[in-house]
Amino acid sequence: MLERLMQETEQAEVFEIQSEATKIGFDANKLKSFEVEETQGIAARVVADGRLGFAASSDVTALDQLKENVLASAELGDEVPLHFPEPQRGPAVEVYSPELATLPPSRLIEMGKEMVDTILQADEEASVSIDLTRRVRETTVRNSAGAEVAVRKAPFSITLEVERVRGDDVITLFEYFSTATLDDGYRAFVARVAEKLRLARRLATLSSGQMPVLFSPTGAPVLGLPLIHGLNGKNVYRGISPMAGREEEELFDEKLTVVDDPTLDGRPGSSSHDDEGVPGRRNILVNQGRLTGYIYDLKTAALARTEPTGNGKRSLFSPPSPSFSNMIVGTGETPVGDIIAGVDKGLLVETPLGLGQGNVISGAFSNSLSLAFKIERGEIVGRVKDISVAGNIYQDLKQIEALSLESEWVYGGIRLPYILLPKLNVVTKN
Amino acid sequence: MREQIESAIRNSEADYIEIRLEEGQNTRVAYRGPDLETADVVIDRGGLVRCFVHGGGWGIATFNDLSDLEHRSRQAYEGARAVQAEPIELAPIPASEYKTTVSLENDFRGVPVTEKKSLAQEYNEILLRFDPRIVDTHTTYSDTFSRVTFANSDGTYVEEERPMVNIAFSAVSRKDDNVQRAFEAVSKVAGFDAVKGHHDLVQVVAQRAVDLLSAPPVEGGRYTVVCNPRMAGVFVHEAFGHLSEADFVYDNPQAQEMMVLGRRFGRDILTIADDGSISGLRGTHKYDDEGTPTGRTDLIKDGILVGRLHSRETAAKMGEQPTGNARATSYRYPPIVRMTNTFIEGGNTSFEEMISDIDQGVYACDAFGGQTALENFSFSAAYGYMIRDGEVGELVRDVVLSGNLFVTLEHIDAVGDDFQWAEWGRCGKGQGGLPVTMGAPHIRIQDVLIGGQ
Repeated sequence: MLERLMQETEQAEVFEIQSEATKIGFDANKLKSFEVEETQGIAARVVADGRLGFAASSDVTALDQLKENVLASAELGDEVPLHFPEPQRGPAVEVYSPELATLPPSRLIEMGKEMVDTILQADEEASVSIDLTRRVRETTVRNSAGAEVAVRKAPFSITLEVERVRGDDVITLFEYFSTATLDDGYRAFVARVAEKLRLARRLATLSSGQMPVLFSPTGAPVLGLPLIHGLNGKNVYRGISPMAGREEEELFDEKLTVVDDPTLDGRPGSSSHDDEGVPGRRNILVNQGRLTGYIYDLKTAALARTEPTGNGKRSLFSPPSPSFSNMIVGTGETPVGDIIAGVDKGLLVETPLGLGQGNVISGAFSNSLSLAFKIERGEIVGRVKDISVAGNIYQDLKQIEALSLESEWVYGGIRLPYILLPKLNVVTKN
Repeated sequence: MREQIESAIRNSEADYIEIRLEEGQNTRVAYRGPDLETADVVIDRGGLVRCFVHGGGWGIATFNDLSDLEHRSRQAYEGARAVQAEPIELAPIPASEYKTTVSLENDFRGVPVTEKKSLAQEYNEILLRFDPRIVDTHTTYSDTFSRVTFANSDGTYVEEERPMVNIAFSAVSRKDDNVQRAFEAVSKVAGFDAVKGHHDLVQVVAQRAVDLLSAPPVEGGRYTVVCNPRMAGVFVHEAFGHLSEADFVYDNPQAQEMMVLGRRFGRDILTIADDGSISGLRGTHKYDDEGTPTGRTDLIKDGILVGRLHSRETAAKMGEQPTGNARATSYRYPPIVRMTNTFIEGGNTSFEEMISDIDQGVYACDAFGGQTALENFSFSAAYGYMIRDGEVGELVRDVVLSGNLFVTLEHIDAVGDDFQWAEWGRCGKGQGGLPVTMGAPHIRIQDVLIGGQ
């Protein structure tokens, strides 16, 4: 395909994806389904007469049509000063574990049963749904500059949904675990979910007002999501990121460091190269509160006249765009137990609702909380319902009271510590 | 293809088997700011086999390679045998044989991509030229045409063509650190003409993005809230609709108790229903993705819970009738209980009456989105106004409604006489974006929590 495209264009790129997954599903505490998923597809980009074109197909036999579509797309495309990269060495990153890739379905079933038991021990009225997915995903990108990069990953993921209804008192938890290395990290994951359920048995009330708010790693994406949007080179190039044009400025508290790191072994988001064949590298984006960089793919970097950062990510049906590999907020020095012990009266945010729904790029957040706890005299005293928090990260992250020593991976590719903000607006029904 | 499908079904040893194949083509033209992001055509083909065996569970195989359905059927069968699950039963439905071919006025498949690009560019230019404070835009044209074939071992064979044409515009405005946005979209089961002539709507988007720059954030607190029809539609979908999906209750006795039919949820003025058979709406199909005919299901009638949405499996488990709500986002997913076109039926209060006795309230308009964790919900309005002394006052931003479902439904004390369907709707349950339509008139809710800085 690449050769055929190169005959008619200045530059060409072919991206191929193949993936096989086995999924075990539990529903309402019981084993329910066994699923096999096979995915394949091919996408092409060309630069013809300086213009960029794109096309894709999940039917890998429809190559004539793919070629016709990508050439037609380039005829309509914009002129972009983009150059597909030459072969470049990337870092060695472990993302394929043969043991994980061949984990027997019977083992997935055992793990699921163990997780159901752990949750039911915490609350026998819980209804648990689990999906355990074992996958092998191979992508290859080849281009007219001679690069040929194949990436093989074996990500393993678990989605865990817990519902507990008692009268009209309802709790729902939706949690996600992922890894690319075989270990028993899932046990710690499910133990934390069980602990949240236990803590939620007691209810507490809290009055509206300004107070210290501690975001747990599952709650902290409220603050992390605006950072992810703001550091995206596309939003910077478009001038809509409040961080655009402010490199080297002290935008945040000096405790805050944000890194994108695709070089970590054992993480599904890691990779030697991005989906455009650009080598992955660790990029420090916010260094002790100071803005030091953004993330770019090839096209955005070309438009912004800067270097790509190895963050070109794509699914089969879309052209690449800048995306984090692993977004990491650096940890602090205080154990979370000590942070809680130091709060006289405040709120612990575990599960926000409506993440990403507000005006995220502006830094503003306003989220109601499906799971949050009252902290009183240094202890978690009970779950608070009908409550919301609001603020803006460009003000509220200027002063961080503490970051915990501990951190967790959430939503697959985000690693966050507990983050304590000294004063945030909390609205409750009282 | 029909022969291969029927032969794979015939030769399967499963106690029940279904095959769903999908072939589609999607054209997309996207502008971001002054630049064209892409103008492309993608091809998508794939399928799903789902089966169960007594003494086993559900076995599912999904794939892009459609060449060997017997092999996929065996994969699903082996999966079904590998799990020891509770016995599965499906409520009976009549076997159907049905084939639709749509004919669209000015079918978008016959329109050259250049013309689609010109239209998107024209709209995008309006946004870009409107005001220097508009710093970024997204204008996206897309159309999709797919052919879905469904057959099962109960004798049903359905072929359906599913066309959809969409145009979406958003504008981002900025003044110093203040960044605002506005959004509108039109999505129709129709030909190319349905997305033409929306220049006025584009102006509205641009004007709103600029106006929001000088709008203050709403002050947090508890308010009487009037929701416009689009906000009310999202509210009913998110806050109530998901609870009426039987997969939430069918295996959970406590949840069944909470959602017991006959329970009062609201005042007499409140009627909520789902109807997948209304011609031309985004959630409409003749049959759902299990081959069950769609139709109207009343969920709340005169304030009382009277029904819920079912797949064949949840209906059998609860001894109720399937409602035609088993839907799948694509061939990549087995069907689950989903809404189709969900609405609050129109009442008899005019908008003027509704606001006339509000001293201080919030008029919440449109929705950036909504999310619910069963009893708790959160909705972001796209924009809002204060209501002061019975009149609509100044524009406010960052209006996020949250609350408890049960309390909030009881607090709906006025239902407007101005019912309308939204032009656009998407449900994200489990499998991601599935087309739905939400409809409602204006509604008034007492004592709603609004977050704010």
